Amino acid sequence: MAKEFNVPPVVFPSGGNPGSGPQQRRVPTAPFQPPRPANPNLPFMSFDIGSAPPPTSFSAPVFGATGVGIGSSFEDEPPLLEELGINTRQIWRKTISILNPFRANANLHEDADLSGPFIFLIAFGLFQLLAGKIHFGVILGWVTFASFFLYVVFNMLAGRNGNLDLYRCLSLLGYCMLPVVIFSAFSLFIPQGGVVAYSMAAVFVLWSTRVCTCLLVELASCGDEHRGLIAYACFLIYTLFSLLVIF
Amino acid sequence: MYTSPGTQPGVPRPPVNPQPNPFGNAFYGAGSEFIRSGLGAYGERILGSSSEYVQSNISRYFSDPQYYFQVNDQYVRNKLKVILFPFLYRGHWTRITEPVGGRLSYKPPIYDINAPDLYIPFMAFGTYVVLAGFLMGLLGKFSPEALSLLFTWGLGGWFAQVLVLKLMLYTLGSGEAPLLDIVAYGGYAFAGICVTILGRIIWSYSYYFLMAWTSLSMGAFLVKTMKRVLFAEVRSHVSSMHNYCLLILAVAQIPLSVYLGWI
Repeated sequence: MAKEFNVPPVVFPSGGNPGSGPQQRRVPTAPFQPPRPANPNLPFMSFDIGSAPPPTSFSAPVFGATGVGIGSSFEDEPPLLEELGINTRQIWRKTISILNPFRANANLHEDADLSGPFIFLIAFGLFQLLAGKIHFGVILGWVTFASFFLYVVFNMLAGRNGNLDLYRCLSLLGYCMLPVVIFSAFSLFIPQGGVVAYSMAAVFVLWSTRVCTCLLVELASCGDEHRGLIAYACFLIYTLFSLLVIF
Repeated sequence: MYTSPGTQPGVPRPPVNPQPNPFGNAFYGAGSEFIRSGLGAYGERILGSSSEYVQSNISRYFSDPQYYFQVNDQYVRNKLKVILFPFLYRGHWTRITEPVGGRLSYKPPIYDINAPDLYIPFMAFGTYVVLAGFLMGLLGKFSPEALSLLFTWGLGGWFAQVLVLKLMLYTLGSGEAPLLDIVAYGGYAFAGICVTILGRIIWSYSYYFLMAWTSLSMGAFLVKTMKRVLFAEVRSHVSSMHNYCLLILAVAQIPLSVYLGWI
């Protein structure tokens, strides 16, 4: 059943009065018709991108701006993902490179981005939700704290020539969280608290640690003598997250 | 903070500190050294070439934190052996000094086993939080809020340890030892506590034996270390007062260990 709402009547420039009957009313076929001549009786106001937007826009936003010929500046705009800086191909490549625990390709991770880690953390939260635990806020808080911790420890150990910045630290930490996310997916199917859970946890945590350490040591110039020390810090962080999954 | 230790299984505690967040670091290490040292490392990026400015401001209140992180694998291994088995350590306990720019300064931890460092205390604290969380999970009491509570209590314990050491230094002498030194000495206790908790995870009756033994070791370690610190700081040597205070310090490790190991 159609809702009653007040549609102001359309008045044609030929001067027909508003109440001249339904047969003269014509619903506009195109949703938006620029540019209308300036007629003060018209409820729709024509506008293009360059001029000021209309003060009342009760229906214009729904239909607007998809019309052709509004302004050539819209067609030149880059696609949305590119404008946001989300390079899906790169994210996919980085993800695939994490899956190999024995060889870390550090060149891919040169430019840090946070969209991949964001996807992984949301997936982590979703798997935890499937297990009945609402941990979204906990994951966010712990990742922030852990990356800050790793940032400080790494820069202090590396001394003068440590060039890890917080953004890249968070990015690396998030990407290397992928094995833990996989573990949380698997843990939905194994009995809780069994030996299988602990051994799987050990495997995935070691996988995460190894990848994270390799990437950190290669990307931020640290030197090989601190490898074990950095590895232990990463190990602590990923064990902490695996605790969320196991218990 | 001294409410009854959480031993109610299954009852979620109201979150005192719901999520560990970077601002919690203000209490880390009994001071804002963490934020300042982070600011020192980060300030270089924000302020460009003014890292000297930031560093000099930091060093007015704390000694240079970089000194405490000059460690390597070998130092960490040997230092852990000294902390956990101080009775078996056959070397001397004095720190090696070297003249730097006309003033005597201590050698960094890479070259001197007796120098304090901050890497071991931080890692020991992190290990303590993780292991205690694991133990809580085995006992069925795990929840993220409980872990945050544990983190806060652990920080409180560290702070209490630093306070005891600092008070002792004040009463006996000038108390001018650098704050980060005291923070480091206070944090070494966590290494022993981690061993205790690990033992408890493996076999629950080993807890009592391990608790007694690590308290004694930590007491011995701190006595030997603080004796050297006192010799360096205090001019007049009042023998009996020193010894009583050191004895009290050693005995005070026991309630501290029990408090931290109480899960």
